[in-house]
Amino acid sequence: MAIIEATDLRKVFRSVVRGPGLGGAVRALFARDHEEKVAVEGVSFGLDAGELVGYIGPNGAGKSTTIKMLTGILVPTSGTVRVAGIAPFDHRAANAQNIGVVFGQRSQLYWDLPLRESFELLRAIYDIPLDRFRQNLAHFCEILDLERFMGTPVRQLSLGERMRGDFAGAMLHDPKIVYLDEPTIGLDVIAKEAIRTFIAEVNRERGTTVILTTHDLADVERLCRRIVLIDEGRVIYDGPLERLRSEYGTHRTLVVTLAEASSSEVVIPGATVVHHEMSVVHLRFDRRTTAAEELIRRVTERHTISDLAIVEPDIESIVRRIYTDGYARPEALPS
Amino acid sequence: MVRVYREYWRINILTTLEYRENFLMWLAFMLVYHGSAIATLYVVLHQFPSMNGWDFRQMAFMYGFWMLAHALHNTLFSNVSSIPEHIRDGNFDRTLVRPLDSLFATIATPGQIFPDELLLAAFYFGIATWYAGVHVDLAFVVLVPLIVAGGALIDLAIDLAISTLSFWFVRVDALKWITLQLEEEFTRYPIGIYSRSVRLVLTFALPFAFMNYFPAMYFLHKTDSSLPLPAIAGVLTPLVGIVSIALAYGFWRVGLDRYQGVGH
Repeated sequence: MAIIEATDLRKVFRSVVRGPGLGGAVRALFARDHEEKVAVEGVSFGLDAGELVGYIGPNGAGKSTTIKMLTGILVPTSGTVRVAGIAPFDHRAANAQNIGVVFGQRSQLYWDLPLRESFELLRAIYDIPLDRFRQNLAHFCEILDLERFMGTPVRQLSLGERMRGDFAGAMLHDPKIVYLDEPTIGLDVIAKEAIRTFIAEVNRERGTTVILTTHDLADVERLCRRIVLIDEGRVIYDGPLERLRSEYGTHRTLVVTLAEASSSEVVIPGATVVHHEMSVVHLRFDRRTTAAEELIRRVTERHTISDLAIVEPDIESIVRRIYTDGYARPEALPS
Repeated sequence: MVRVYREYWRINILTTLEYRENFLMWLAFMLVYHGSAIATLYVVLHQFPSMNGWDFRQMAFMYGFWMLAHALHNTLFSNVSSIPEHIRDGNFDRTLVRPLDSLFATIATPGQIFPDELLLAAFYFGIATWYAGVHVDLAFVVLVPLIVAGGALIDLAIDLAISTLSFWFVRVDALKWITLQLEEEFTRYPIGIYSRSVRLVLTFALPFAFMNYFPAMYFLHKTDSSLPLPAIAGVLTPLVGIVSIALAYGFWRVGLDRYQGVGH
């Protein structure tokens, strides 16, 4: 059953155009030119209850604008959204009860007070029954290891601890859907792992639907089966992560360590040298046109090698390629 | 909602007490600040032993009404004037994902609010009432809180309307500052001393006159023949407050749909 349905969502921002510098600013006081900027250009997708989806795109692609329309913060210019059967911006309060939101760069905790005071306020705001509240809090304390710093003022917490607090805060009222906007930004490896484990567990155990926007594609690789890629306000890919990998990850890299360091150029038919330093050469090849065995044979015919490895493309490099090469425009993309 | 509001005050007070030294310094500052405001008023009003038929004691009583209503507004609704700031820095997003009415959610966002100003204003009002020799009876005790609440709503309505403009213009500091200056200027003296157009504005457009002038007139048994309003207008303040806030709230709802947020 679809819990989120977005159809043809569009959002146009209107802003004043100013010339550069002070002169431009003064002129803008008198003559105002308005500029329309299309942030989201017809985005449609559906999410089933219990899905965990990565919503990915470069800066300015329209990710946060979409999320803000789904959460009811922004009113779409056109198109419709249904979240758990409700149009979020028409019924903000009712929608808010169904959702949890974590903004990685914006805490909802009270800076000056211990974590538990923020949780008490959230209990009142979301009208959480006491036994449910205690049960959830105990559970989150356990997985997120909050007990140690429940009594510490939030301003004295590390970023990792604060984020864990924020996650617990967003989940206390048992939301059906959580929106996570850059939840691991700025965190160290251990804190990232703790957060990822928590997200996976909440999704699995409670069946919470999760939409994750992130720049850290390791989050996506670790958590999401499905991803939605967005660029310039349009969805350019929507499907399983694996398919993206097999369709777009057609390039492999053969890393060869030559027996002796060479500065002379290495030329191998069917592959391009993308990196060459001392004795290590990175050769990129397309697996559809060049078989790995064949390539290795060609290399060994020409050079003596001491080691070699084939590197599969990670999702990050695939996504980077889609954005920079620009060949995955909507019309060219099977979705 | 009641629980949220109670919790909001609990957090406010806890936050204030979290920084004990700051709190004590703040209290000392408030005493000096309000003390000097009243002293200034005393000096200014004493220059005019009588103004438009009002003597010094009566003007002090009138000022007390404004001070009390304004202090009540500052204590309960101070978050409303920070709306433009939250719109600009994007923190307003958080308010919109709360399962509460967005105005209520704004008002009940804890900060570091303490009812010191209100306590001082109440103290001043008590003194001024006694000084002006106003007869305190049951009607006075019942009506004054209602009038003060109405006055605070008038203040809130104007503040909210200005803050709402920031959905369009982002920065509204200048307008906010001008309005506060006007309010402080025009609530100090009986409005009878101003020209007719100013009196009409203060009665019908920005109804500051209902915060202090008309109520004071009512309790001092004065009449103002220059305005087409009977003496009973003095107890209409709660009604004026409710109408003002209803209009401002309607405007606010229109503005909300215009919210653009920050970033894309």
